[in-house]
Amino acid sequence: MSLPKRIIKETERLVADPAPGISAVPHEDNLRYFDVTIDGPDGSPFEKGKFKLELFLTEEYPMAPPKVRFLTKIYHPNIDKLGRICLDILKDKWSPALQIRTVLLSVQALLSAPNPDDPLATDVAKHYKENEKDAQRVSQEWTQKYAK
Amino acid sequence: MTPPDEPPPGPFFADSDDDDYKKAGNEMVMDELPPVGESTSSLSLPQTPRTASSMSSPAVGKLFLDDSDDEELVIPIDNSQVTRLAVLDDGFGVELLSEDPRLKSEASIKSRSVSLLKEESPPPPLPKKRRLSEDIPSRSSPSVNLFPAYLGELIVPNAWSNVSGKGYVKINDTILVRKDEDESEPPTKSKAPAVNTKKKSDNKKQLKLSSMLKVQPAKGSKKKKDNIVRLVNQAGFEFGRLPTETSWWVSKLLELGLIKIRGVMTDCPERLTTGIGLIVTLRFYLLAAAFKPIKSSTSGEDPVHFAFNEGLETEEESSMRERKNSIVKLFEIVGLKPQAGAGANAKGKKSEAKIRDEAIKRMKQRSGKKVKEIVGDGEEIEVDEAEELSKSEIDTIYNRAQKHDQTLSSMEPADTFNMTLRGYQKQALFWMHSLETGSLDAREASSMHPLWSEYFFPQPSVAEGEMIDLTADEMPFYFNPYSGEMSLTFPRAERTCKGGILADEMGMGKTIMLSALIQTSLATQDPDDADADAPSKAKQLRLNSAFRPVNSRKTSSAKPPSATLIVAPTSLLNQWADELERSSKPGTFQICLWHGSNRADLDALLDEDNDDDNKTLKIVITSYGILASEHAKLDRATTNRPPVFDITWWRVILDEAHSCKSRTSKTAKAVYALSAKRKWAVTGTPIINKLEDLFSLLKFLDFKPWSEFAFFRSFITIPFLASDPKAIEVVQIILESILLRREKTMRDTDGKRIIELPPKEILVEQLEFTPLERKIYDSIYHSAKRNFEQLDAKGLVGKNYTHILAMLMRLRRAVLHPNLVVTKDDERALSPAGDARVDVNDLIQRFAEGQQSIQGSTFADEFVANLKGNELGECPICFGEMENPMIIPDCMHQFCKDCIVSHIGICEERSQQPNCPSCNIGPLEANKLVEIVQKDVDAPASSQASDATVSFRRNDFQSSTKLEALIQNLRKLRAQDPYFRAVVFSQFTSFLDLIEIALDRERFEHHRFDGTMDIKKKGAAINEFKTSSRKPKVLVISLKAGGVGLNLTAANHVFMMDCWWNAAVEHQAIDRVHRIGQDKTVYVTHFIISKTIEKRILKIQKRKTAIVNEAFRGSSKADPQSLQNLKIMFGADDDDDDSEDEEH
Repeated sequence: MSLPKRIIKETERLVADPAPGISAVPHEDNLRYFDVTIDGPDGSPFEKGKFKLELFLTEEYPMAPPKVRFLTKIYHPNIDKLGRICLDILKDKWSPALQIRTVLLSVQALLSAPNPDDPLATDVAKHYKENEKDAQRVSQEWTQKYAK
Repeated sequence: MTPPDEPPPGPFFADSDDDDYKKAGNEMVMDELPPVGESTSSLSLPQTPRTASSMSSPAVGKLFLDDSDDEELVIPIDNSQVTRLAVLDDGFGVELLSEDPRLKSEASIKSRSVSLLKEESPPPPLPKKRRLSEDIPSRSSPSVNLFPAYLGELIVPNAWSNVSGKGYVKINDTILVRKDEDESEPPTKSKAPAVNTKKKSDNKKQLKLSSMLKVQPAKGSKKKKDNIVRLVNQAGFEFGRLPTETSWWVSKLLELGLIKIRGVMTDCPERLTTGIGLIVTLRFYLLAAAFKPIKSSTSGEDPVHFAFNEGLETEEESSMRERKNSIVKLFEIVGLKPQAGAGANAKGKKSEAKIRDEAIKRMKQRSGKKVKEIVGDGEEIEVDEAEELSKSEIDTIYNRAQKHDQTLSSMEPADTFNMTLRGYQKQALFWMHSLETGSLDAREASSMHPLWSEYFFPQPSVAEGEMIDLTADEMPFYFNPYSGEMSLTFPRAERTCKGGILADEMGMGKTIMLSALIQTSLATQDPDDADADAPSKAKQLRLNSAFRPVNSRKTSSAKPPSATLIVAPTSLLNQWADELERSSKPGTFQICLWHGSNRADLDALLDEDNDDDNKTLKIVITSYGILASEHAKLDRATTNRPPVFDITWWRVILDEAHSCKSRTSKTAKAVYALSAKRKWAVTGTPIINKLEDLFSLLKFLDFKPWSEFAFFRSFITIPFLASDPKAIEVVQIILESILLRREKTMRDTDGKRIIELPPKEILVEQLEFTPLERKIYDSIYHSAKRNFEQLDAKGLVGKNYTHILAMLMRLRRAVLHPNLVVTKDDERALSPAGDARVDVNDLIQRFAEGQQSIQGSTFADEFVANLKGNELGECPICFGEMENPMIIPDCMHQFCKDCIVSHIGICEERSQQPNCPSCNIGPLEANKLVEIVQKDVDAPASSQASDATVSFRRNDFQSSTKLEALIQNLRKLRAQDPYFRAVVFSQFTSFLDLIEIALDRERFEHHRFDGTMDIKKKGAAINEFKTSSRKPKVLVISLKAGGVGLNLTAANHVFMMDCWWNAAVEHQAIDRVHRIGQDKTVYVTHFIISKTIEKRILKIQKRKTAIVNEAFRGSSKADPQSLQNLKIMFGADDDDDDSEDEEH
């Protein structure tokens, strides 16, 4: 299966002009599969952390969103234990005009702005709602512990 | 005519058997002579009834007397007795001194007084006869010396003896050959009786063979004729007879007095016994009587007089027929061959006879049922479905006319003609010009009457020590194998009509050839009208307008004609006008399309502006329909006669002249009513399937005598029905003189094809459905297949044939475009009508007014400026350059058409609201999107309202695989050749609609031609398509409407959107483009969608089952072939792939 022009172009651009704090490298044996690293945004509990993710472009891409998952454990109300991410653009708000870069930027932004009102990890969300400071502390711990 | 002469000999001797006859015969002979001289009236034969009969028509007798005399004379000679010879001699003697020697020697007349008479001087016998003979000279002086003229000899190996005993005859004895006079037969009488007893008063009447020819009620007396020919020795005893296969014609010839026979016993036993075989040598001499005119009928001068009773053969006719057959047989037996004329070609070419035979063989089987035919402009008539001709039969008919075409001279057209004629076209011009001027026969130096052949009298063999006739230069004589007439004078072909039939195959440029003729063969050059030719020529034609009294009209029409009338099928009127214009320098023609309800006044037309340019050639072009309706007025109106029939045209040309083929149709009658100096029938198919098709053309051409239906019928139709080869031959002969037919495959004298067309490349483009189309198609196919299988299992296919055809039709549409099968309520069906173009300004305005964001018109201006800049952005979805950019009107975001449309489709499929991928505005609707259309950079001077090089349109059109393929091809073409012309064929007008929309969207200039359009529109469409301009043009044309006559050589690209059952129809369509005049390679692209019914149609095409064609076209009955084909249609899918492999 040949790779659509769009994916090739995106890959080239990611390499040539990477977004700050984000890297995405396709596997050599599967150009639709990317190893992604996102730096935890400054000023967030995830600061200094380097989070690994995997990103897979389905056959339908770009008409369907890419599949993105955290590989690094993270304490975040919108990301569950399995690394799944609750982000609208990865679901119904996907638009074919979005790209890998924009998706990853969105994920990075999500780290800065957890949204406990639309939780995926309900216990983390509850923790954030009831005692945000304590929750942020746990997130910080996890970052130091897992996201080195 | 002369028949009586011969018989006498027979009878005379025979008389021995029947004395009465003898005597009578003899007497008669004698009588005959006298009567002739005197005038038949004098004769009155009490003795024999026959004589009486012959007498019955005294008048005739007179006419023939001369000849008959001769004959009589001859006859007597034959009689073993001197007397006969004498008689004959007398007749001839007077006239033919030179011949006498022969006679003597042959006849061994030796001592007889008769012989003397012959040899030395016929005078003694009968003054009367002489007179007769004198008459003869008037026809052709040479004849006098000739008769009896040697024709040839025949050895009859199987004569037989009817006596026993010795001494009857010895080898090398001269024997006499006699025929009894048959009482019942008037002709016989005259001859037979001629025996020695000659001069009895009775005889008088007998002589007149001529009488036979005349209508004689008496003739039919009931006695049956016998064909016995008796062999009599010098002593007058009958000793044997001729075998029947010889005697039937010999007896007839003798009976009619056409020949004289000298017999020599070649071999016989010394002693005869009854039934023993004898070998005799017979030498035949033609008597002058043979050259007496039979009747006027055959000469064709006034066939009207003929009492042609269709189907019934009159006495005379049957007599004529026998005479004819006998003579033909005689010629055949003695090996006399025509040197020129009717029979000559036929015998010269071995193939010819074969061809004819085959033709005859094939033409059997005829049913009497009536069929409807369409003639003229849709006039429907009932015709007899009799005597259909097969294609190959028709070919053989043309065969002869084509034989000499290679060697025709050629002629250059007039200066005003501004095209270049090909070689064969120049030949045609020469031929037509020759026919018109009558200056010479284009094909043969001599213009012999088509029915006659030229023969030469053979020289008698010298072997027997006979004297050689020194006067015997090659003497020609002429024989009409159709009527049996003979003549010594050259039978001139009488051409009352000037014109003919130009029957070149379709696509050979007949129109151009006629244009050349019109320009080259001018009225001013007509010798007939030379004096009338005045500077005011143009005025000559003028007829009065309807207001003027009829009389004045006549006066005006009395002026020499100069205008040409062209009658053609409605659909070709414009083409004629165009071709004429195109082939001539400007100003050469003044063309008037006389058509439509408010057609101009012809008189005025022809009168108009005659002042300045008298060199203008006036052309009136009209249709068969108009002509027929004008003709109807003719019957009604007494005062205001439609001028078209009052005008004497200079030339009338019927295009597609087979339109008037049925002589009873209104169209045909109207056509006959036209009067013109020159008439041409132009048609690729002068004979469609019946010989009588030809009649109408001959009638129009006034080609006598064939333009008389009775005559035509008697000489062609009826013989044809009777499988008489002559029918075909006569037609061939007729055509040879007035028809020119070349075929594309013919070669010129150098062996080159007369038409060299540029190559034609056919490409079958195999396409794949989009998944959606595949889904739609498959569902239709499977339900149809299920349906068919059910019916098939129950054996009901035949009964539901129509239904199945409808299903097939639906499938074929599905292949083209889903819209053609999807029902209206289907949501995705896009109304083609909604292709409203969106004005940029309008779009901008709307945008500026209503919507949120963005900086109003500034943005819009910028945006449009960008578009104009021709810099297409990258599609945010595919990251590619946008090929067909689409704008979302609400936010002005742009995407590829494919991307955004499929985005919307997917969202809908997922029940999500489709929003703009870039700004999430929504919901979007596919048909509200606006497409940006690039204009041709080459066509800046567009009349488009907006000044932009781009324009917009709503995305309200759904394409299909085939449409896309077409558009892609056209785009490629445009890139290669910015001024290309392409023709797109489909059989579905609904698909044509879609194609047009697609072309519109691509900004291709396109024109349409289909059966529903009126003539003006059709003409305009073709015109505009042909007009040269610096942009590509596409003609969208319905397969069925575009089949006839259209000339689309302006294009060299053909796209076939669908398959027709019959490949021939497709080829015909392609030939609109790939025809004469085409100077580029023709590229044909056939779009086929794989794994669909189309593959199977191709398969059926390959099976060459022409039946499919008819069966599928609409008859509601299934035949086995069609069923078989249906099974292919719905057969197992498996072999599809295989077959595809095979094909590629």
